[in-house]
Amino acid sequence: MNWFYSTLQAVLNGLLTGALYGLIAMGMALIFGVMRIVNFAHGAFLMLGMYATYVLFQSTGISPYYGFPLAGAALFVIGYATYLGLLRPIRGQVDFMVILLTMGLALIITDGVQLIFGADYHQISIPLLSKNIRLGSQISINAPWLVSFAIAAVLAVVLYFVVTHTMFGRAARAIAQNRYAAPLMGINVNQVQAISFGIGSAAAGIAGSLLLPVFYLFPEVGNQFKLKSFVMVVLGGMGSIQGAAIAGLVLGVVESLTSLYWGNEWALAVDFVIFILVLSLKPSGIFGSQRA
Amino acid sequence: MKRFYFLIPCAVVMIIAWAGCKGGSGGDSNTIRIGVVTSLTGSNAAFGQAHKNGYTIALEEINAKGGLLGKKVELDYYDDQSRPDQAVQGVSKLVDQDHVPIILGAYSSESTRAIVPVVTQKQIPLIIPTAVADNVMATGSAWVFRICAGSGSFATATLDFLKNNGNPKTLAIVSENTNFGQANNKSMTDASKAAGLDLVDAETYQASSPDYKSLLQRVKNKNPEAVYFASYLLDASTLMRQAEQVRLNPKYYTSAGTGFAAAEFPNSDKGAGKYAEYTFSVSQWLPSAKWKGSADFDQKFFKLTNTHPAYHAIEAYAALVVAAAAIDSAKTTQSQVVRDTLRQINLAETPFGPVKFDNTGQNAHPVLVTQVQGGQYKVVWPPDAAENKPILPTPEWSKRQ
Repeated sequence: MNWFYSTLQAVLNGLLTGALYGLIAMGMALIFGVMRIVNFAHGAFLMLGMYATYVLFQSTGISPYYGFPLAGAALFVIGYATYLGLLRPIRGQVDFMVILLTMGLALIITDGVQLIFGADYHQISIPLLSKNIRLGSQISINAPWLVSFAIAAVLAVVLYFVVTHTMFGRAARAIAQNRYAAPLMGINVNQVQAISFGIGSAAAGIAGSLLLPVFYLFPEVGNQFKLKSFVMVVLGGMGSIQGAAIAGLVLGVVESLTSLYWGNEWALAVDFVIFILVLSLKPSGIFGSQRA
Repeated sequence: MKRFYFLIPCAVVMIIAWAGCKGGSGGDSNTIRIGVVTSLTGSNAAFGQAHKNGYTIALEEINAKGGLLGKKVELDYYDDQSRPDQAVQGVSKLVDQDHVPIILGAYSSESTRAIVPVVTQKQIPLIIPTAVADNVMATGSAWVFRICAGSGSFATATLDFLKNNGNPKTLAIVSENTNFGQANNKSMTDASKAAGLDLVDAETYQASSPDYKSLLQRVKNKNPEAVYFASYLLDASTLMRQAEQVRLNPKYYTSAGTGFAAAEFPNSDKGAGKYAEYTFSVSQWLPSAKWKGSADFDQKFFKLTNTHPAYHAIEAYAALVVAAAAIDSAKTTQSQVVRDTLRQINLAETPFGPVKFDNTGQNAHPVLVTQVQGGQYKVVWPPDAAENKPILPTPEWSKRQ
């Protein structure tokens, strides 16, 4: 019975972590889907979201659970400006240029934050952190994780709705299908791409806000989420945002179960085993949408 | 305009060449520069900063007494960004460009192990302040000297404490997956077997993860009486918070220092706060240590940072004091002579205790066991150094308020 409860607990933990992974991955998938850009600055944007939330918390005492829309808005503006100022001028160049640019941007952001805030790490302490919801004697759920799960789930649904049911979403999907035909249909490609990049960055920033209370932050904290989110984008079917959300949950649960059955040191290895298997066996992704 | 673009790479090359020459002087004739590799950025930045504060205090003392060989002393820092490959680059830069006569560092066992072969090949003495993994001393290099006690002493001190305080029969080891964690894992595995303990679980983890609940659940399922952690600071805090969530209730939370002994660990703004309470840790030094100058160092540190130091800072302090003593009595900065002087060095009184290297380059330093009691580290073992009695068994999480 012990193992039954352990497994159930691990699945729950995995879903809670996975919801945040999913939010990060959805942002990256949106950017990838609309622009075919692998945004290597995604982890840095997440870190910026964490710092924005941290500064807000320290200066005004606003909890991350209320402050996350502000972090999201800030990151939207940063993402929007990044697209217009840096990415648009090199559109049409080889993909390699874009990769180098976003990597370089990640370095500049990380080092810039280090210059301003120093390399020291920070964490925040809120009363919610020590609240646990206990179901029976075996299962426990840490309240902040549950709150961030709920927020991430709502945002995922909203994002899905935006992409499938709004004018902007239709335009974004049209660009994803054919970048050259879309402008002929009267779509302002630059505008839509800039907004997509903004929304994608905002998703990373909000994920950062939600992660802050249960984690810690220092300028390089985003690095580990950069590759992970790329794995999820591939797993979810290259640019499908609902696929990325589900891939986030799957990856969270798989990591948690791997950690329970084989040990924590295998959790990261499993990520990349999945990555290689998906790329070699089903490159369109497990939740294979037809987009390519 | 476009035809002048080729000038840009030319200009870059010239600037780099100029910067290279500029750094190449190795200090002018009125200064002695001592090389330091530590982690000022990256995940171990808290410890790198502790190093820097320790070095700063020692440097001020040395220069206040007129420097060395009639010259002012300067420190030449290289930040390894908490990465071993950068530590190696740092040694190359410090030796080949800056021509320092001696290097202190690095912070972590991982980085230190990476630079030992490099200093050996370049024939520059290295004083290791904090790297506890015993394999940093295992190469037999004649150029390395270590101030702190190693992972083997950590394990035996912990087991000695456990044996004399309730004598638990089962143990689980939880260690981070770089050199520090793995060296302590190995030392504890060997020592616990020799002591006849039943090792029921050994877990290894990646130090930057936000979620260790499954790992702790595994430990809980094995139900060990004692757990031994080898963790850095950020992971130590996360582990203890989540230990409460999964209600892992061993009788003893013991640890190989470092994260569990960091000044920040028992405080709630930067560490585990109340979740740190009752945890045991090995320690190499505390502000209350009996050695002459300990309290003085504590005061200076407090003046500099408004916080009290943990042992990482004073080990850095001691490393610089020892380097200065060696240069002073060698009467030269010639590396070979400094190395030979280091082997003979015998400092009876430093705030970190006596320093004297055996023929492997290891300083025999005693290891204490502390417990967090009321948010403070209190020495509980060995008896002749103990300030307080250990609180045992560790109260279960549900019984704490």
